[in-house]
This record gives sequence, C-alpha cells and structure tokens, in this order.
Amino acid sequence: MGLFTELKDSISRATDRLFSEQEPKRIGIYGPPNAGKTTLANRIARDWTGDAVGAESHVPHETRRARRKENVEIERDGKTVTIDIVDTPGVTTKVDYEEFTDEMDEEDAIRRSREATEGVAEAMHWLREDVDGVIYVLDSAEDPITQVNTMLIGIVESRDLPVLIFANKTDLDDSSVKRIEDAFPQHKTVPLSAKEGDNMDEVYDNIAEYFG
Amino acid sequence: MPHQCTNCGRTFADGSKEMLSGCPDCGGNKFQFAPTTTAAAESSAGTAADTDDSGSAGTASAAAQSSTAESDGVATRAAETVRDWVSSDSADEPTADAAERSRSDDSTATSAAAPNQSWPSSEDAAAPESDTSPDGEFDEWPETARRPEDRSGSPDETAADAPTEATTDDRTRSDDDWPDQPSSGPTTTMADDENSAQADARSTVVPSDDLPSHSETPGRESDPSSRNGADRDPAAGSAVDAHAEAETEAAVDTGVDDQPPDHGRVVSEPSGQRPSIEELRAELNEQFESIKIVRPGQYELNLMELYNRDEYIISLQEDGRYVIDVPDSWHADDDGED
Repeated sequence: MGLFTELKDSISRATDRLFSEQEPKRIGIYGPPNAGKTTLANRIARDWTGDAVGAESHVPHETRRARRKENVEIERDGKTVTIDIVDTPGVTTKVDYEEFTDEMDEEDAIRRSREATEGVAEAMHWLREDVDGVIYVLDSAEDPITQVNTMLIGIVESRDLPVLIFANKTDLDDSSVKRIEDAFPQHKTVPLSAKEGDNMDEVYDNIAEYFG
Repeated sequence: MPHQCTNCGRTFADGSKEMLSGCPDCGGNKFQFAPTTTAAAESSAGTAADTDDSGSAGTASAAAQSSTAESDGVATRAAETVRDWVSSDSADEPTADAAERSRSDDSTATSAAAPNQSWPSSEDAAAPESDTSPDGEFDEWPETARRPEDRSGSPDETAADAPTEATTDDRTRSDDDWPDQPSSGPTTTMADDENSAQADARSTVVPSDDLPSHSETPGRESDPSSRNGADRDPAAGSAVDAHAEAETEAAVDTGVDDQPPDHGRVVSEPSGQRPSIEELRAELNEQFESIKIVRPGQYELNLMELYNRDEYIISLQEDGRYVIDVPDSWHADDDGED
C-alpha cells in the first residue's frame, strides 16, 4: 500500500499538525518471549511508516532492549490515530542460557541470557512508567495460562490501562484462538498472524478503537 | 545490621531504604548480606585498619583518597540518577542539610572522642588480629573497607570546601551531603528514620505490622556504631593527632575482645533466638531480591519486584552478596531507536 499510504500519510500528518489534541499514546507491546512481538511491531511499523522496528528471530530473547517507533499514524475510516509503539523484550520468570546453546556458543548464550534478564527488568520498568496502553501478544499455539501471562495482565488491569490481547501465529497448525479467549475472557482477543499479515485490518480497527 | 557495603564497609539496618539508592557514603552498589557476627567483625576490622592509617600515615591516606576520587565519579553519577528517580522529595534536603552537616562535622571533631567510647572498644580490640588476618571467607574486606574509610576521613576537606563547592557545583555538593544526612542526625532521630525507612522500603512487599521484631534493635544498635565510625574518621582524618591518640586510648581503655559478638547478639535478642544465616538470607530474598543468579547465564526473576522498584537487586548465591543495579541507561533511551 506504499504510494497510497504515503499520500494519505502526508495529508493526515498535515491535518494532525493543525488539529493535534494531545501527545500520541504510547502503546507497549508485551508478552512472553517468542510470541511474535517484534514481528508484529515490524508489521505495524512497515505498514504505516515504511520502517522496521527491530530484528526478528526464532531464537527467544532476540529483543533485549525496548525499542520505540514514534508517531505511527494509523488511518481508519477517514480518521487518523497516532501512536508510539514500544516493542519490549519478552517477559519471563526464568532465563537459561542453555536454551540458546544450540544456536550459538556458550559464551554468547550466557551473554544473551544476561541481556535478556536486563531486558525483562527494562520491560517491567516501562510497564510501570511509560506506557498508556498495552498490546499483549500471545502465541496462540501455546498454552496461554502461565504465571507470566496472568501476572502481567493482572498488573495491566491494576493500572487500568487499555489492553488488547493478540492471538498471534494463527498460521500455525496448533493455533487455538479460543484457548486464549477462554483464558482471558475479560479482554478483547484479536486473532492474527503478524508473520503472514493475516487479519491485520481487524488489528488496526481495534488499535484505533482502543488506543485512539 | 544484615547489609554491608562491600566498598566502604558501611552497614545498614535490616530493611534500610538508604542502600537501595547505592551506598550513601561511597556510592557503591554492591552489598553483602552480612550475618551479624561477620558484620561486626568486619566493621571492626575496617575501622581498626582505618585507625592505623589515619593515625600514622598521611601519605598513605592521601594516596587512597585519590584512588577513591576516581571511583567517586561513578558513584556520584549513580547517586545522582537514583536521587532524581527515587527521592524527588528529598531534593531540597541537601541545601537545608548543608549547614547542619558542616556544623555537625565541626562539632564531631571536638566530640569525637567521647561518643566513640561506646563502640571503639571492639575496633581496637579487633585491630591486631583482624587487620592482618581476618576471618577466612571475607579476606579481602578489610582491604576494601580501608579505602572508603580513608575517604570518609576526607569529608573534612569537603566540608571545609563546602561554600565554594556549593556555588560551583551544586549537584556534586549535594551528593556529598545527601548520603551524610542520616548519619549526622542525633541517635534518636536516626532510629526513627530507620523505622520509617524500613516501613517504607517494605511497604509494597510486606505490611508494616509484619516487620520482623528484631529489626528495630539492630537499627538502633548498629547505626550509632557506624555513625560513630563515620564521625570519628573525619576527626582522625583531619590530622589532629591529639584526637587520634585520644581515640586510640579510649579504644584501648574499653577494649574488649568479645564486643562484636555482643553487638551481634543484640540484633537477635528480641526474638529470643539468633536466626541462622539461611533464615536471614531467605528473609532478605523474600523482601528484596528481584533477580536471582542461579549460576552464570541462569536467572530467576521476581516480576513484581522488578515492576515495583526502579532499581533491581541481584543476589549472588555465594556469601549472601548481592548487587543493587541502578540502570541509568534507561534514561538515555528516550530517543528510542538504537
């Protein structure tokens, strides 16, 4: 949607400058490691700005520092919603370098492990200080009821932040969106495949509705 | 005093919030969980070593001062960051404190010998043995403890320079003041501060009525000791030989070998039994630990602790030592994409 989007972007940017009411909301993309947070962030950023946010990898904890993409203007039904998206490191209660030793040597695995741990600390810090809304990304092929997921969603609820749950990886055979809906019935669950770009329209509709 | 700065040897009462911002004296962010007897022995070793230094060799302490000055830059930066984050309400304290502090530093010089008598007994007693061969597992401690003690011998200079410093570099100045604030207060105030600090530090983790019963006593008991130590050092460091001698004499007079264990026992007296190191460690972990290093590359994270605190506290398994990490780099991330 390159040209078309660019044209719309420049128009909406101009109108936004004129009528901007407030700072763009900062939306944190949270979730366990390897849920597809960076893939989603890249998908959103590429769709609306043309740039990527960060490197994706099948090895968990690829994102070990929070990365921010500012002024992502998402256009829905003639209106523009501007958000900053923050791609955060995957949150977990245990980090073990042996998880990575198949992919790299031990020294690198230990370093990755340490950085991942700091990344979790940073993600939690962002959650407390710096986000106005949360996109919670889950791998729909995995069991969503884990300590990390319930705790993080509990924290988000305790802060009264708007939250959307994204059931990612619907392209996988084991994917079950219903399992996620059942686990967190109090929140809106949106199925998608960030990798394949499936159902992104509904994703943007909901982002505009929840965070606009 | 279950917590001790590994850099300068300053001890902190159980639950003290001061150390969460780095050591107020030296800015160090590495602490060990010091079981009462070890802590007592070490603080005595450290201060005893200091007595030797300040009493005899000006050159030695000058050299040590310059070396601490280097690490001070980092410490100052860390302290600044922490203060910006954690204690916005205390931002005005340093200025108010400056006068009080320099006053109290001056008065310390004259009164140092007297208040010391309650504590230095153990310092002096420990001097001969622990200076040369301290207890096995913490061999390096007296060594590392010595430098900052020397440094805390230098605050007299700092205090003397106070007016110019205050005008030229307010932040540096206030960093010096800020940590000293608690230790320059009267003993009773100190105890009160300690209690509120404890309550505060735990408020998000443990209800205040759950505070361990022994925590008050160590606060009251250990702080005067560390305070006297800190106060005494400036006096000694000011090169007033008379004071140093008087101190040494006073120390000799009251010198008793088992003073540190006595001190240690007081800590656990209210509960009627002395908690084991394991119990203390478990309690510490429960209260503070946000990242546990199982072994290099393997970590366990306490998400609620990470969420609730600016700084994160990393516990190393061995020796009950742990690190309080203040990630000031998060500040610099505002421009995002890096």
